[in-house]
Amino acid sequence: MKLDRYILLLILLILWQVLCSLEIIPTNLLPSPFHIILGLKDLLIIGMPPGHFLPNHILYSLYRVTLGFLAAALLGIPLGLLLGWSPRLRRITNPLVELVRPIPPLAWIPIAILWFGIGMKSAAFIIFLGAFFPILLNTVSGVLTIDPIYFEVAQTLNAKRKDIFFKVLVPGAVPSIFVGLRIGVGIGWMTLVAAEFTGVRTGYGLGYMIMTARDIQRPDEILAGMLVIGLIGYLINGGLRLCEKKIVRWRN
Amino acid sequence: MLTICFSILFSLQMQDMVRGEEKPIRIGYLQSDIHQLACWVAMEKGFYRKNGVDAKVAGIFRAGPEEMSAFAAGALDMGYVGEAPATTAVANRVAKATVLAQVNTEGSAIMVKKGSPIKKPADLAGKTVAIPGHSTVQDFLLQKALYKFKVDPKMVNTIVLKPPEMIGALKTGQIDGFIAWEPYPAKAQTMGVGEVLLTSNQIWKNHPCCVLVSDDGFRHLHPKNVEGLVKAHVQATDFIHEFPDEAVKIGMKYTGMDEETVRTAMKNVNYTYELSIDGETEYVDFLSRLKYIDVPHAETFVNRFIDPKVLEKVVGK
Repeated sequence: MKLDRYILLLILLILWQVLCSLEIIPTNLLPSPFHIILGLKDLLIIGMPPGHFLPNHILYSLYRVTLGFLAAALLGIPLGLLLGWSPRLRRITNPLVELVRPIPPLAWIPIAILWFGIGMKSAAFIIFLGAFFPILLNTVSGVLTIDPIYFEVAQTLNAKRKDIFFKVLVPGAVPSIFVGLRIGVGIGWMTLVAAEFTGVRTGYGLGYMIMTARDIQRPDEILAGMLVIGLIGYLINGGLRLCEKKIVRWRN
Repeated sequence: MLTICFSILFSLQMQDMVRGEEKPIRIGYLQSDIHQLACWVAMEKGFYRKNGVDAKVAGIFRAGPEEMSAFAAGALDMGYVGEAPATTAVANRVAKATVLAQVNTEGSAIMVKKGSPIKKPADLAGKTVAIPGHSTVQDFLLQKALYKFKVDPKMVNTIVLKPPEMIGALKTGQIDGFIAWEPYPAKAQTMGVGEVLLTSNQIWKNHPCCVLVSDDGFRHLHPKNVEGLVKAHVQATDFIHEFPDEAVKIGMKYTGMDEETVRTAMKNVNYTYELSIDGETEYVDFLSRLKYIDVPHAETFVNRFIDPKVLEKVVGK
């Protein structure tokens, strides 16, 4: 076990706790790690808003992020492969992609409510927007960085266009696709608070929970919610890395 | 590194708060909230200046909890805010602030879509009603209305939407009703989108709503400025009653809404600076019951949270 990578984190936590205990950092502005753990306990036992418990918030958020992320992956990967494959298609779509890409997902909130109403669909749409472009652009970049010699060899061996696409282009782009997926899911989680700010019918969601904790002025629970989002993101990233290792064996 | 940066920033901020002798008073208010007309009147008619106060708007907020976060961050000295979010922030020890004067009583309404089958409070069962946020005055009023008219709160699905988004959501049928501060109920009416199901007067007559609060540190360091600002607030409130037409024009300027909407809204608001101790005690009990705050003795908390001395001195009681 390589525990040394956690040493810096541990030192920071201890320093943070000491500074809070000595009241150098006001705990009403930045609660101590100990208070955050107590906040986490309250989220599990009392809930935020009271009666709405943490595990349900996690499940609803996971559902929204999965929905938005899957939609982004299902659209972003094939489109990215096509754009990488065809210079003409890339030229045609480039202005549109570059125009829409810099618009922050937050700016889409009023439009999302107008198109999809309040609830699951608009939240998933905001997460989709956050995840889509990293997946698309990394897929395109994955195709473009494949060594041209592989295409030439395939053509020399009289491979059909279909075979070149599925046996050279797709596997060649897979490592980059995984990078896009990992960045995409990370940004998807980042947009979660904004996405669940569009109005949540069910009263569940980590973003909604954090906003409610803000309304009720509980910074300890806000930070506990942020910690949960961070941990889930960390686990998902780890899971994707594991998948990547299994699928992209040849790279090792 | 992050921890060190935080502590440096916090200590710089604390120094800033302690220095600040010559700086203008940083005030905050809620965006387009006609309850806080006295603040706008005081600015427009120069009441702050006339009372020797140099007031500067340091923040315009979309909801009370956001404004109380600004108090916690030391970014505001005084502000106009809902009594419920102020109570929550102080009871949860996030902000150190005290109520010095009332701003208004009443001034909210539960709205339903025009021509809706919801004709009485009992019809809200099974419906979706938007509130501006948890622990807002409107959250409290909705719960109180459901209790008063014997509707099981579990039967009403409440969702959080900011008031400017409520009218659109009601129009498109995404919600069945909303409760908001004026002028949003009036706007829904004049737009032909909504109709009043209950005014807050019908839910709780003379209920306290917005208050003028001061940061505790600022209050102790600058008593003269605080007194001047309370005096300006009293004069502005009197002005609204004496010159309602001029007050309407100021309301139109700050809300960006038409005359009919502002006049309709103002009819639903009672502008007063008289403090309501009993009303605040009821808020504290309610917020404790909902577990938003943990206050064992409501009266002790209220006696600390509301300080009537400055107001009494200003109005000569």
